[in-house]
Amino acid sequence: MTEILEASGLSKWYGQVIAVNKVSFRIGPGVTGLLGPNGAGKSTLMKLVTGQLRPSQGQVALFGQRIWNNYPLFRRIGFCPEQDSFYEWMTGAEFVAALLRLHGFGEAEAESRTTSVLELVGLADARDKKLGAYSKGMRQRIKLAQAVAHDPEVLVLDEPLAGMDPVARRETIRLVRGWGKAGRCVIVSSHILHEIEAMTSTILLIHNGQVLADGDVHQIRDLIDQHPHHIFIRCSEPRRLAEILFRFEDVLSVRFEPDGRAVTFESEKPDEFYQRLPDLLLRHQIELEEITSPDDNLQAVFHYLVK
Amino acid sequence: MSSLAKMWREFRTIAFLTIDTLFWSKKTIFVALISLFIVALAILARLILTYNWIRSPFTPPQVFATLMSTAVVHFLVVFITLFYGTALISEEVEGKTLTYLFLRPIPKPVIMLGKYLALVWITLLLVVPSIVFSYLILYLGSDLGLFFEDMGALAQDLGIVVLAILAYGALFALIGAWLRHSVLAGLLYAFGWEGIIPYLPGYLRKLTITHYIQSILPHDDTAVAIAMLIGERSGPLESVLTLVLLAVLFLSTASLIVREKEYLIEQ
Amino acid sequence: MPIHDVTYRHWSGEWTSHPYRWWVITRQGISLLIRKKRFVALMILSAIPFLVRTVILYLSVVVGQLGFLKIDAKFFEDFLTQQLFFAFVIAIYAGAGLIANDLKGNALQIYLSKPITRKDYVIGKLGVVAVFLSIPTLVPGLLLFVLAVAFHSNLDFLQQNYWVIGSIVMYSLAIILTYGLVVLALSALSKSSRFAGIVFAAFFFFSQIVYGILHQILRTTSVAWVSLTQNLIQVGDFFFAAPPHYASPTWVSGLIVAGLMAASAWLIHRRIRAVEVVQ
Repeated sequence: MTEILEASGLSKWYGQVIAVNKVSFRIGPGVTGLLGPNGAGKSTLMKLVTGQLRPSQGQVALFGQRIWNNYPLFRRIGFCPEQDSFYEWMTGAEFVAALLRLHGFGEAEAESRTTSVLELVGLADARDKKLGAYSKGMRQRIKLAQAVAHDPEVLVLDEPLAGMDPVARRETIRLVRGWGKAGRCVIVSSHILHEIEAMTSTILLIHNGQVLADGDVHQIRDLIDQHPHHIFIRCSEPRRLAEILFRFEDVLSVRFEPDGRAVTFESEKPDEFYQRLPDLLLRHQIELEEITSPDDNLQAVFHYLVK
Repeated sequence: MSSLAKMWREFRTIAFLTIDTLFWSKKTIFVALISLFIVALAILARLILTYNWIRSPFTPPQVFATLMSTAVVHFLVVFITLFYGTALISEEVEGKTLTYLFLRPIPKPVIMLGKYLALVWITLLLVVPSIVFSYLILYLGSDLGLFFEDMGALAQDLGIVVLAILAYGALFALIGAWLRHSVLAGLLYAFGWEGIIPYLPGYLRKLTITHYIQSILPHDDTAVAIAMLIGERSGPLESVLTLVLLAVLFLSTASLIVREKEYLIEQ
Repeated sequence: MPIHDVTYRHWSGEWTSHPYRWWVITRQGISLLIRKKRFVALMILSAIPFLVRTVILYLSVVVGQLGFLKIDAKFFEDFLTQQLFFAFVIAIYAGAGLIANDLKGNALQIYLSKPITRKDYVIGKLGVVAVFLSIPTLVPGLLLFVLAVAFHSNLDFLQQNYWVIGSIVMYSLAIILTYGLVVLALSALSKSSRFAGIVFAAFFFFSQIVYGILHQILRTTSVAWVSLTQNLIQVGDFFFAAPPHYASPTWVSGLIVAGLMAASAWLIHRRIRAVEVVQ
């Protein structure tokens, strides 16, 4: 993977408060979810990555270059801030066009890009409305518009779905996934797990200013040894299946569902469990209806690592 | 595009954005009213002279001199540059829009300079018409010879106003970029420090902008007369150069601060 | 009952009566401001003239009432007039952001969705400014009078000057209410405390400058009514039964001060609303 963003021993403190504590990671093209509870250090990390703050210690580099006060680099970065603040007296189109002109685009080019980006985010009809009159969802979308209008290679989106209705949310998730697939490096921060899950399986989990995990969420899950995996099986003979599987050492517990037609196993070696299961089902002629892993997901990873 | 032309375009874009943000707002109505009040005072004086409402031994040049030295240079210019100068950066921080500016491929000092350009432009727009209209109102209708004779003094006044705008504008831009409570700090300087220090003997007065302005003002009002009683004026060349140098110094410092300071936007 | 209900229950105790709801806002405003070290330093600075006058009071008793050591009604009036500048700075610091910050943060909706009225809100906010404006004016003014009585070994001073207590209260109230209402009105006009502070300062200084110019042109003090400070001084002269400082009629100054208060109150009434419509 070609690293676009690299942090090494990155720390930031404000007086006695350490907001980001010796964080090291590498992020390449695609969508990466920056995940963490409130106060974890996500916003501070985003500000370090977008050059709004200077590192107290360590370094962070974009395309191999230091970010702080490196203004030519900002041509390649698009940032969607969390705060809901604008030049309220401007219309949506004026706002995007003004910021495009600050990027160095001429009037005509800025106007043309403004039109296409507003269509992209679904604000074409509201382009001439003042920002002060925009709804919360519209304000969120205009922030996104100004972040992508200049076609940056790196997109840093701080809580981009906040305040959006379900339709706009779905549309934005689709856009984010599209930008990731197109090869852009997209970093999305959120504390809402299912939003991140809908956009990507690559996460950077941060808590108390430290990175707890980074990589694919399923790989991370597999590495969490202290929390055995739960496997839910709905079949024709759950009790018989439980009796068979419980003999194996890695199966720690069995719980039967109230309807009597399903069973949840707890296994500390899920790979072995999955390997032996098909053969056993065939041999004992047990009909399998459903198999899922309730905790092979972001919520479980978050819960096990953070709580 | 050459780098100079590119930089000029960036200056202009920032300046126009700042003008739109600061100038075309309801707050400017208030500032314009104060500026118009100066003209209103000129009209009042004109009416008194024309209709002899009171028997008072003043002449149009005297009224103009008083307006210029007391109202324009020592108040209007200071107030407008304080009003807009402290807002250049702090308004963006308070309004949480600074992020949009700082995340553009423009050096931060250029952003500061562009905003300063806007400040100078706005102040000139609000002050110069008042001065010119006041001059016209007071001088026209009386001795026309005097009208043309004193044009030199008017030109000098306008030049001094420009220098005052440059110096005070840069100072308040620096205060606004540096301090959190920039308005209070600006008020304490403008009406505290500059209200007391010029009237103290010795070299302390040279630590004020108003001393250099008083030194080159062609008019004398009571305040100037008192100040000059206590100490001497600085020479005209020294005063002009100092004002320009102060403007450059304050602006450079403001640019440096903007470049290096981390502005924490509250979430 | 063996198992106790620890879920949500309605308050079955006593409710505070409505007339005191404004005090919650005042109390909160005061506690927020006294946490600021610079503001506390400013308050301490404003006590310096009081200390100087206390020394003068003491010396007047020890040395005798000579020249500047004469303790009469004018002594107290001059003290309050001297404190006008501190009151101005405190009004900006304490008052400029009181309503502006609530407008900026859309907090009015939250306030007015509670069982308080707009009047409670305004009185609460005015209470904050009034408390802090009374610290350089009313409180030290009355304290000076008490010290003057205390330093004299008999009640002669009190018998001769008891009416000065009322004068101190009235002049202080005029300063507190004028500055307090004007700064609150300006704070209600904008979402920027910065703007409110600057406009208040402009009003304060510009009116004095206009008076200065008119005084130079017209060579008379009968135009003192254009200046806020001069009007307050004239009102002070009235309350202390002193010869007026300026030739302008005292009733004009009184009318202007009252008019300013009324105009400010009206402006506040117009601006304090829970909802703002943007078109």
